Order: sequence, then structure tokens, then C-alpha cells
Amino acid sequence: MTTTTAIKVTHRYAAAPEKVFDAWLTPDQARRFAFATPDGEMITAEIDARVGGRFNFTDRRPDMGDVAHVGEYEVIDRPRRLVFTFAVPKFDPTYTRVTLDFAAVDGGCEVTLTHEGVADEWRDSTPKGWEMILTSLEKVVG
Amino acid sequence: MLDETLAAIADPTRRAILGRLAEGEARVTELARPFAISLNSVSKHIRMLERARLVSRRVEGREHILTLTPAPLDEAAEWIAAQKRLWAWRLGELEKVLEEDA
Repeated sequence: MTTTTAIKVTHRYAAAPEKVFDAWLTPDQARRFAFATPDGEMITAEIDARVGGRFNFTDRRPDMGDVAHVGEYEVIDRPRRLVFTFAVPKFDPTYTRVTLDFAAVDGGCEVTLTHEGVADEWRDSTPKGWEMILTSLEKVVG
Repeated sequence: MLDETLAAIADPTRRAILGRLAEGEARVTELARPFAISLNSVSKHIRMLERARLVSRRVEGREHILTLTPAPLDEAAEWIAAQKRLWAWRLGELEKVLEEDA
């Protein structure tokens, strides 16, 4: 069964796709938004911006201490697409996958972020994707 | 608990069982019928749903009757909604970064 999309968020920016794309791979910029939380302080922002390279963003949170966000870049296709695996080991060792699509639109760029529940490698033994889950929630709760 | 909930609903047969129970309680034997799988196999799925506390069972004579107990799904739905809010917030923060660094 193919992993289906679960969480999808889009946002438009008044900036060129290249600029928005680069922000994700520039530590000084990425630390301010990419894996930040509203109350946390980013104490580590390491990026090895190549396919197979890893990142580590550690967010110091008032309620739960240091929370590392780690993963590996799978696709770096500037300025169109960025794909990386993603885990927050403190809460869940499972690697999920985040895909960012950058589309040029009039006056700027539209980013679509898709966060899939579980990367392919782990799919068989773990929950298979959040859209399915959401769909089933709607059916059952709705 | 969340892990158990998500694992429980990650299977199409179990979702179908939940969907059926959402319409009202059912006997185990009744549940097996539409799925074209053995009673034994349905029982395994039901046990997993029971462990996740999504289904409760009561015994009346020789019948085992199952009822949907959907509360754990609310927790899962809230968790998914929180993930979505967090990413939406992050994309909003990116806009600030772009403006400040312009």
C-alpha cells in the first residue's frame, strides 16, 4: 500500500522560490522557524545540506528540556523540492517524511508542506499514513 | 496510548470494523461475515482494537457483543491537529524571517 498524504499545509510568500527554498537550508534562518516551537529556544542548528546529509535542530523548551529534531535530506532540488526524513527521538524514534514543494506564483512563491506519517522503510510495521487515519477518524467520529 | 490507537486504525479491516460498530453494536459472528475472512482472523483484529480501548466486549449467554468506545480517537485527532497547527505556525514564522532578512 502506498503511503498517502496526511498533513498538508500551504503558505504564500512575497519572495522568490530560491529565497524561500534557501531559508530551509541556511542555519541562521532555518533555526528561527523550521523546527522551532512557539516557546522554545533553538540551541543547536546543524545542517549538512546534501543528499544523505543530516540535520539536527535542538529546541530547548521550558516544559520538557532539550528536544532534538533530526533527519536526513533525501531530495534537494533547488528551488522546486526539498524532501527529508524527520524524527523527534525524545517522543518517537520513528522517522517520518516531510516534503516541501515550492511553486512560483504571481508575486512570489507558494510552499506546500506535506508531512507523511511514516517513511517507506518502516511502513509495514507502523501506522501507514495520516490521511488514512484522518479519513477513518472522520468515518468513525464524524 | 496514542501509539496503540494509531496502530489499531492503521489497518483497513480494523477501520471497517470500527466503521461498522459506529453504526451500532454487533456480535463477533456478525462482524466476520462482510469481511470474507475467518472468524479467527477477525478475532485477532478485535483483540487489537480492545487493547487500544476502541472496542469493548460484553458476553450475553453465548454471544460476544462489541461496542465502539471512540474516546481514544479524540486524542489521536487532537494530536494530528496539533501537528498541523505547529507546521502552519512554522510556515508563518518563515514569512517573518524573509521579511526581516529582506
